[in-house]
Amino acid sequence: MAIAPPQDPVNATLVKKTTAAAGKNPQERTASPSPAIQESAAVIIIGAGFAGLGMAIRLKQAGIRDIIILERSDRGVGGTWRDNTYPGAACDIPSNLYSFSFAPNPNWSSSFSRSGEILDYIYHLVEKFDLGGYLRLQENVTGIAYDEAAGHWSATTDHQGEARQYQGRTVVMAQGPLSNASFPAIPGIDRFQGHKIHSANWDHDYDFTGKRVGVIGTGASGVQIIPELVKQAARVRVFQRTPGWVVPRLDFAKPDWQQTLFRKLPVSQKALRQLLYVAHESMALAVIWNSPLTRLAERLSRAHLRRQVKDRWLRRQLTPDFTIGCKRVLVSNDYYPALQQDNCKLITWPIDCISPEGIRTAEGIEHQFDCLVFATGFEVGHSGTPFPITGRQGRQLNEEWKSGASAYKSINVSGYPNLFLTFGPNSGPGHNSALVYIEAQLDYAVQGIRTILDGKLKGLDVKPRVQREHNKAMQQRLSKTNWNSGCQSWYLTEDGFNATMYPGFASQYARQMAQLDPADYQVLK
Amino acid sequence: MAAIDLDTMLAKIKSSQWALADIDWDAPGAEEIHPDQWVKLKAFMSDLMWIEHVGARGFAAMAKKAPDDTLKEIYTYFHAEEQRHANAEMALMKRWGMLEGDELPEPNINLRLTIEWLDRYSDDMPLEVLGSVIPMLEIALDGALLKFLLDEVSDPVCHQVFEKINADEARHLGVDFHVMEMLGQGRFHQLAVKTIGTVANPKLILGVLAYAPLLNRMRDNIVAMGLKEERLYEAMNKYKRIGGRTAEGRRNPWFQIISRHGEYVVDRSHFYHKPVDALVKLSNFIPARLLGPVPTWVKELTWKPTA
Repeated sequence: MAIAPPQDPVNATLVKKTTAAAGKNPQERTASPSPAIQESAAVIIIGAGFAGLGMAIRLKQAGIRDIIILERSDRGVGGTWRDNTYPGAACDIPSNLYSFSFAPNPNWSSSFSRSGEILDYIYHLVEKFDLGGYLRLQENVTGIAYDEAAGHWSATTDHQGEARQYQGRTVVMAQGPLSNASFPAIPGIDRFQGHKIHSANWDHDYDFTGKRVGVIGTGASGVQIIPELVKQAARVRVFQRTPGWVVPRLDFAKPDWQQTLFRKLPVSQKALRQLLYVAHESMALAVIWNSPLTRLAERLSRAHLRRQVKDRWLRRQLTPDFTIGCKRVLVSNDYYPALQQDNCKLITWPIDCISPEGIRTAEGIEHQFDCLVFATGFEVGHSGTPFPITGRQGRQLNEEWKSGASAYKSINVSGYPNLFLTFGPNSGPGHNSALVYIEAQLDYAVQGIRTILDGKLKGLDVKPRVQREHNKAMQQRLSKTNWNSGCQSWYLTEDGFNATMYPGFASQYARQMAQLDPADYQVLK
Repeated sequence: MAAIDLDTMLAKIKSSQWALADIDWDAPGAEEIHPDQWVKLKAFMSDLMWIEHVGARGFAAMAKKAPDDTLKEIYTYFHAEEQRHANAEMALMKRWGMLEGDELPEPNINLRLTIEWLDRYSDDMPLEVLGSVIPMLEIALDGALLKFLLDEVSDPVCHQVFEKINADEARHLGVDFHVMEMLGQGRFHQLAVKTIGTVANPKLILGVLAYAPLLNRMRDNIVAMGLKEERLYEAMNKYKRIGGRTAEGRRNPWFQIISRHGEYVVDRSHFYHKPVDALVKLSNFIPARLLGPVPTWVKELTWKPTA
């Protein structure tokens, strides 16, 4: 199921194609007189996942073609779907909604796509919209800085150990919030003598047959990996700290007639997408705010648990003690059955440390393994930035975000003109497709970039007061949501500040992003 | 109120973990168990490990009721630590040739009834009940049973194990009494009304019907093994002294109930024993098969240091 580009002939071709096309942008490029500057462009996009590629598509469609996409990987495009190729990797949102509205795919094979099929869709976007020429692979951005006098950003990169520099009138940050694998801070983690695998960097060469495997983490990746591992390994032990709410996945193979219908009558696919969108919007009432629907969703999840787990103690271990929605809701039909297989066991004792042979838990037992799988997710920057970002008068964004990230409408930050964030502060969805939110951000960024380029502006900088007022209202709204109801989750900083989620419906977010109001911005000429 | 800082305590608990693998179970000394004490010791160790295990399940229930995340995590650790004690005590039994294969010591019928009650109802009990009963069990364990054991057994591995267990129990007692005092805060009439409401709860009444005969049977078993009754008196007095050292502690109605009950238990001449001993006898007629299989949490017990 898991598709790594080098193992797949079609994808391998595309990786080669995008790699070969790098540096052959059809657009004319201004070579810098300074050898330190590699290239300059109207727009630098950092990251070639869904957001970065989507940005390039929308800019192209708006007639802006002077673009560079800096991608740190040497494995081509795809972002999180390129990296997450673990067995069972799939999206929790139906495929018809987890795709761009401006690039529908009638050929989804099932209602919820696996990672390989989503990656194929991303490759298809690159081909269809001819984005290969914009890509610069193995360009790991190490910092960006705004030059107020010149009105441009410079991005320094590490290209296979060589320092490079790119210049852009505007920068779009599309490096993704879930891009750096996070290992848990368990004492002794480096002492383990067996094999270690992180879900975001799967080792496809490792043969689990006959192996004793320990899985740490029972979040979104964990519940997908565990059923697959149980099929292969001799013994699987699942270490759980906090059980999550699990709801059934309404997964089914798409019939051929539906694909034909979508191809011949695209409006029918649009209608289904709209239906799925509205259905997911209604879920906000259950997972974002505490309402009677929240109780209903919890009841549904408990019924799912009761139906699949007959043992009272195991059911107790798997019953969450927080309001549904406070943490990410898990979607699975095969996680609970997998835990009850003869070769699998759930362990809820607190982990004391990792020893050379395995994991020691507080009930005094050392659980020994050949391999440890870390399904522990990603480092989510609540308060930092992925690399130094220097704005006007040398201000540093990670300094300003120390006590929690904030932005205007999630996309602009005062003091950092011409910088557009995707998946910025308070843009996370808890109930609907992330791509719906991204699309709204992309179209807002197009408006901003067009204003800058057409007006030949040095800078478009959001007013501090506007940003402040926006965030004050945002935090007030967040205080009434389930995310802030007392559980610990990656949505919150250690101090409980929510810099991650958007407290509303996707349609509210889209409305917020529909119009760029020039009055909110200071123009630098 | 002699408050302790729970965050500091949690850090201390995390840094004081130990595992069965830290102990050399094959080290010399097992031969120091005399054949004439072997049978009694087997029964004593069996009761001891079951008390630890029952206590573990009690902490699991308390974790669900903890008023804040720190106390919840502390109780989660205590649940695991009591299980560790039961595991280590089983490992000692294995070392002394008291266990065959993977078998668990056979729980008596009163233990089975208590396990059944814990499995079904303990999660529904308010923190006040288990938060006041568990310290009593722990203080009896710490103050009487373990001291007795170490006096009787000279195997150095046993002493090494109980040194670790005692260190854990000291932290447990610190938190237990802190929480008992915490539970005594608030207006007295409110505490009293709440207590009356809990006492009338049929689930609690069933719990008392399981717990009281269990204590009597265990007390008789232990005294039959040679434990002096004064040790139990001392333990009860310690519970009264520490639990009642502050006004908040004394205001906790459950402290008053449990300490009074403790007095009855150790006073063999008290009328209390007539109905409770009758219950012990009655419970002998309950066929174990009526209770069905033991809950799966019991099956997590193991004497094996590695899995």
